[in-house]
Amino acid sequence: MSLQALRIPTPGQVVVLSGNEAIARGAMEAGLGYAAAYPGSPSSEILASLAAVSRERGFYAEWSTNEKVAMEGAAAASYAGVRSITIMKADGLNVAMDFMTSLAYAGTRAGMVIVVSDDPGAHSSTKEEDTRYLVRAAHLPVLEAATVDEAKTMVPWAFELSEAIGLPVVLRNVTRIAHARGSVTLGPLTPPTREARFDPNARYLTLSLFHPVLHARIEEARARFETAPFNRYTGPADAARLVVACGPGWTYATEAVELLGAKGEVGVLKLGTTWPLPERLVASHLTHAREVLFLEEVEPFLETEVKSLWAQQTERGPVRFLGKASAHVAGPSGPSIGELTPEIAIKAIAALTGRELEVHGNGFAERAAKLALPDLPPRALAFCAGCPHRASYWAIKSALELDGRKGVVVGDIGCYTLGVMQTGYFTVKTVHAMGSAVGLASGFGKLGLLGFDQPVVAVVGDSTFYHAAIPALVNARYNDSPLLLVVLDNCTTAMTGHQPHPGTGRSAAGDPAPPLPIEAVARGLGLDVDIQDPLRTAEAVESVYRLLQTDGTKVLILRSPCALLPSTKRTHRAVVDPARCVGESCGCNRFCNRVFSCPALVWDGERGCARVDDVLCAGCGVCVDLCPRGAIRLEETAAIAG
Amino acid sequence: MKRGGPADLEARVLSADLCTGCGACLGHCPYLKTLGERVAFVHPCSLTEGRCFAVCPRTSLDPDELDRRVLGTPRLDVFLGSYRRLLWSRSLDADIHGRAQYGGTTTALTAFALESGTVSAAVLTGGGPTSFPQPVVARDRDAVLAAAGTKYSACPTLVPVAGLLRESDEAFAVVGRPCQVAALRNVQANPKNAHRFAAVIGVFCFWALAPSFYRFVAAHGVLTRATKIDIPKEGGVVFSNGRTTTVPLDEIRPHIRPACQTCLDPTAEWADVSVGSTEHDSAWNTLVVRTARGQALVDAAVAAGALETRPYPPDRIPILRAAVAGKKRRVMAAVDEGDPATRYLSVSDDTRAAIMAGGRDVQ
Amino acid sequence: MAGDPVDRLNVVIAGVGGQGNVVASDILATALSRAGFRVSVGETFGASQRGGSVMSHVRTARDATPGPLVPKGLVDVVLGFEPLETLRVLTDYGQSRTRVLVNPRPIYPLAVQIGEGTYPDPGALLESLRALAADVLVVEGTELARRAGEVKAQNLAMLGALAGSGWLPIAAETFDAVLADRFGDDLLRVNRAAFRLGIEEASRISRVPASRAG
Ligand SMILES: Cc1cc2nc3c(=O)[nH]c(=O)nc-3n(C[C@H](O)[C@H](O)[C@H](O)COP(=O)(O)OP(=O)(O)OC[C@H]3O[C@@H](n4cnc5c(N)ncnc54)[C@H](O)[C@@H]3O)c2cc1C
Ligand code: SF4
Ligand code: SF4
Repeated sequence: MSLQALRIPTPGQVVVLSGNEAIARGAMEAGLGYAAAYPGSPSSEILASLAAVSRERGFYAEWSTNEKVAMEGAAAASYAGVRSITIMKADGLNVAMDFMTSLAYAGTRAGMVIVVSDDPGAHSSTKEEDTRYLVRAAHLPVLEAATVDEAKTMVPWAFELSEAIGLPVVLRNVTRIAHARGSVTLGPLTPPTREARFDPNARYLTLSLFHPVLHARIEEARARFETAPFNRYTGPADAARLVVACGPGWTYATEAVELLGAKGEVGVLKLGTTWPLPERLVASHLTHAREVLFLEEVEPFLETEVKSLWAQQTERGPVRFLGKASAHVAGPSGPSIGELTPEIAIKAIAALTGRELEVHGNGFAERAAKLALPDLPPRALAFCAGCPHRASYWAIKSALELDGRKGVVVGDIGCYTLGVMQTGYFTVKTVHAMGSAVGLASGFGKLGLLGFDQPVVAVVGDSTFYHAAIPALVNARYNDSPLLLVVLDNCTTAMTGHQPHPGTGRSAAGDPAPPLPIEAVARGLGLDVDIQDPLRTAEAVESVYRLLQTDGTKVLILRSPCALLPSTKRTHRAVVDPARCVGESCGCNRFCNRVFSCPALVWDGERGCARVDDVLCAGCGVCVDLCPRGAIRLEETAAIAG
Repeated sequence: MKRGGPADLEARVLSADLCTGCGACLGHCPYLKTLGERVAFVHPCSLTEGRCFAVCPRTSLDPDELDRRVLGTPRLDVFLGSYRRLLWSRSLDADIHGRAQYGGTTTALTAFALESGTVSAAVLTGGGPTSFPQPVVARDRDAVLAAAGTKYSACPTLVPVAGLLRESDEAFAVVGRPCQVAALRNVQANPKNAHRFAAVIGVFCFWALAPSFYRFVAAHGVLTRATKIDIPKEGGVVFSNGRTTTVPLDEIRPHIRPACQTCLDPTAEWADVSVGSTEHDSAWNTLVVRTARGQALVDAAVAAGALETRPYPPDRIPILRAAVAGKKRRVMAAVDEGDPATRYLSVSDDTRAAIMAGGRDVQ
Repeated sequence: MAGDPVDRLNVVIAGVGGQGNVVASDILATALSRAGFRVSVGETFGASQRGGSVMSHVRTARDATPGPLVPKGLVDVVLGFEPLETLRVLTDYGQSRTRVLVNPRPIYPLAVQIGEGTYPDPGALLESLRALAADVLVVEGTELARRAGEVKAQNLAMLGALAGSGWLPIAAETFDAVLADRFGDDLLRVNRAAFRLGIEEASRISRVPASRAG
C-alpha cells in the first residue's frame, strides 16, 4: 500500500495509487470525517488506507461488524453535519439494503458517499452482482469511474452532489479499478469539520410521505448529471457508430478504437454518471448514431436504460443496439458473464466496424500451437501451506466419517469457503451468504420431527461469526436446534487481507480495543463451548466427534492463526526422511501429497518419495502427525529477518 | 494372506456393520481410523490390495484353515477347538486377585511373561468398565495390573500392534477377544511377523457391547460409578462399586454389537491359551491350553508360583460345551438361512454337520 | 538498451498466489512513475492468492494513461516467477518480440499433486519459452533470494534481474529510493540484497547466449 503517497499534502504531484487508495485520498481531499466499512474484496483497501492515516488526519474510521451497521454509522455522521463514507462489496450492499432504501426516503445532511465494489468475473467472490440494479431500486444516484485518477476526482464531486440533493451518492466501483493502480494527480487535503452536531429541530424519518420528495431529488441529480465532468464524448461530431462505455469499459473502448484504426469513424460516449441517465446528453448522441455498442461490466444496465430512453423519443431514427442483450458483447462464457476484457472490446468494435486486428503477429500463434507440450495443468485454488483450515476440514471430515451418520456440513463465506473444493476435501455442501451456515444448520436441526437423523455441522469463520452468525445462533439456541457450530478462528479476516475484527483486540486504526472473544459471546448465549487447536489433529477430531454425540446447540472453536499473518512466524519446517518414506509401496498411497495436499508436500519422482518444498512449508507440523510411517519430522529454521 | 482392498473391506465389513472392532486393520494408514469403537475410512483409499483387508477376521474366516495353520492338528473338539489341557486356574497373587475379573489367570500370565523376559511388551485393554476402554501397551507389572478386569465393549485393542511390528523387533504378548485372536493369526500369516507374538492369550467372549451401551450407562447415573461389571451365572448384569446394582440382561441385550451375533468362536480357538469364567467359582478361571507355546508359558508360570491350576471338574465340561454349542448352532442356523452377515464364514460340510449333530454330551 | 526511447511498454508478471506479484508490480510501477511515465497496473488478488495463477499487468506510456489490462498479443516483457505460469502467459499474451525473464523453479499445481495432471518436463518448458520468445533469461531467483537471506524474496531478485536486463526504459538505480521508501529496516536489507543479486545475475547471464543461460 502506498500510505506514504496518501499523506502527501502537495497538490499537483503525480503518484501511483490503487483505485481503492485513490478513493480514500479523494475522500480525504473532500474533508472526510467518518468512515465505516466491513471488509470485502475488492473494496477492503479503502477503509484499510483511511484507517491507517485516520489518527494523524483527525477523522474517524472503523471496521464495523457488518455493512448495515457501517452504513448506519455513516448516516449518523451525515446527520451530525460530518461528511462520511461507507464502503462494501456488492454482497455487503445486500446486507445494508434494508437501511439504504430507508435512508433514501429519510435523506441526508452532510455529504455521504456509499462505495460499492462489484467483482465482475467473481475473482474473489461467490457471485458477480451488478449493484446498479439495487441502487436504482433504492433511488440513489450512481457514479462510475473509468480510471484510477478519475475515481479520486469523483469522490469530492460526489460529496458535493450529496449535499446538493440531500441524498447519499453511490460510487459503483469494479475490480479493475479498485485493484488497478495508476498515476493520480493529487489535490489539496481538507481537514474534517470539528462542529459535529445534531440539529434538535431536524428529523430524518422513513415515511411513505417522502416518496415524492425522493423522486424530486433524483430529478435534481439527473439535471446535474447533464453537465457532469465525467461524461465525455470523443470522436467525429456525427459518428454513425457510437460506443457507450463506462468504468474500465471506456479505456478498453478507446484503446480498441485506436488499435483498430477506427478513430475517424467511431465515437465514444463515456458516462461517469450512470443512473439516473443524463437523458438530454445521451439523446443528443442518439440523433446521429445508427449503431450503438455498449461496453459496461456485468449486466446490460446502461444498455437497457438507453434503449428505453430511445423508445421514449418522439423523433427517433432507426438505431441498432449492440451489446449484451444482443450477445454482441460476450466473453467465452456468454454475455453478462465474467468480466469485460480488452479482447471482448476489440472483438466487438472490430465487428462493429468490419475491421480486423492481427494479435500476436509473425506466426506466433502458429508456433505456440505447435509446442510439443501436453496441456498445461490448471491451478485450482487451494489452502496455503500451513493453513489451519486444511487441518480443520480434515478433522471435521474424519469425525463425520467416524460418526457414520452421514453428517451434513454447511459452509459460509471466507477463505474456508474453499472447503467445497479439493483441499477442503469437498466437505462443505452448502455455501450462500455471510452467516447463512448457522441459519441453515438451525433449520436442518429442527427436521428431526420429519425423519431427519443426520448430524449437522455449521462452519463459519471468526469474522463471519460477528458479522451475521450471531442472530442465527440465538435462533438455534432459542428453538433448541441440535447443531454443532464450528468456528474456524484464524484470528483475523484473512480472505480480504487480514483486517481486525471484534475478537482481535485491535481497532481499524491499530489501537487496542476491548477483545470480545467468540467463546464469551457463545457462553453468554448459554451454549457449551470447546476450544481446540486444529493443528493438533487427533484432539480436534475427538472433540468434533464427541460434540456430535451430544444433543442441543454446541460450539467448537478451532483456533489457530492464519499462516499468512505477519505475526505467524515460521519457526520450523518439515523434512521428509527418505529412509522412512517408503513411497509408492506404502499403504498410504502418497497420502501427504495426493490427499492431504499441502502445497509444500511435493512428490520427488526420482527418489520415489515425498519431499517438502522448503520455500512453501510453514512448519505447522500437521503432516508430521498424519504420516503413518512417522517419516516427516519438524526441524527448527534459522531465524529469518523480517 | 487374504487378498482384497479397502473398498472390499468397506463394502463387506464396515458398511455391513460386521466390524468386530478388533483394531487389527488400524495403524497402517491415514485412512482407516477409529473413535468411540467405530472403525471407518475417513477418506477413500484407492489401493486395490491392502493389509486392512488381509488381517480383518470378517472379510473371510475359514476355521479349518486356521486349525491347520495355527494348531497344526485336526480339530479335537467341534465346540471347544483343539487343546492340550483343559484346566481351572487362578493367580496366586493377592494384588491380582483384588483387581482381576475372576481368578486373574490372564493378568498373572501376562505379568509373568513380561517379568520372565518372554515378552517385552503386552498389548492390553485399559480403562474403566463404564466408559470407552483404550488399548494400552504395558511394559511392566503395574501397567498389566492396571489393565485387569473385563470391559464389556469392543475395544480396538489391536491398534498399537501395527506400530509395534513396524517400529521395533521385540516379542510381545497380546490379550484379546476371540475375533482379535483370529485377526492376529491373520497378521502372522505374513512371515515377517510370524515370530513376533510370543504369547497370544484369548479371553472367552460370547458377545461384546456396542457404543450405545455407554450412552445407556450415562443415562443411568448410578451405573457410571461402577468399577466392575460382571455377568454372573445367577443372571443379570451386575454393576458393583462397594454396592451392587443389577440390570436385567434384557435391558443390555439391545446393545450387543451386531457383528457378535454371527461369531462362531466364543473361546478363542486359535489362541495359545484361552481364559474364561468357570461359571461356578468366581475365584477361578477356565483355562484352555492350546499350543505348545501356551503350554510352556503355563508350565513356567506354575513352576514360578505365579499360577495355580487344577484339573477341570469332569462334570462341568458338558456345561461348558453346551454353552458353546448353543452359540455355534445359532450361527449355523443363520448360515443356513442365508443371512448375509454370515457370508464371511467358510465352514466345511463336515464341520457343519458335526456342529449340528453335536457331541454325545451336548443336549 | 537502457535509455532507448521507449514510449509504451507492457509487462506482465506471471506467478502463483503467494509469490509476491503485487509487491513487485507496485515497485516497478512506482519506479516508472518516478521516472516520469504514466503507469497503469492491472491486478487480481484475493481468492487467487490461494494457490491460483496470478498476473500483474504493468503498463506504461509517456503520453496517456493506459487501461489496466494488456490486450492479448501485445506484451513486451514477461517476468515469470514460475516456469509453467510463464509459458501460460507467454502463449496467451505474447508476440514475436516478447522477451522473457523466468525463475525456473516449479511450484506444482494441485492437479499435479493429486495426480490429475502432469507437470511438463522442466527442460521442455524452457525450450518452449525459447521457441516462442525473442529472448529468454533464466534466473534462479529463489536461489538468489536464499543467498540474500530469505527464500521468499525471489520476487525482488527477479525484479532486480529485470532492472539489470536493460529491457526497461529506466536505470536500475531508479529503484533504490523506491525500495527504501517501501520497506522497513530488516525487510529492506534482505529485499535490497535480493534485488542487487538479481541485477548482477542479469548482467552476468545476458552476456552469454540465451540458449546456454539455463
Ligand atoms: C467383551 C467380553 C465378553 C466376555 N464374555 C465372557 C463370557 O461370556 N463367558 C466367559 O466365560 N468369559 C467371558 N469373558 C472373559 C472374562 O470376562 C474374563 O476376561 C476372563 O475370564 C479372564 O478372566 P481373568 O480373571 O483372567 O481376568 P483379568 O486377569 O482381569 O484379565 C482380563 C484381561 O482381559 C483384557 N480385556 C478386558 N476387557 C477387554 C476387552 N473388551 N477386549 C479385549 N480384552 C479385554 C484385559 O486387558 C486383561 O488382560 C468376556 C470378556 C470380554 C472382554
Ligand atoms: S509442516 Fe507439513 S503440512 Fe505444515 S506446511 Fe509444512 S509440509 Fe505443509
Ligand atoms: S473386524 Fe477388525 S480388522 Fe475387520 S474392520 Fe473391524 S476392526 Fe478392522
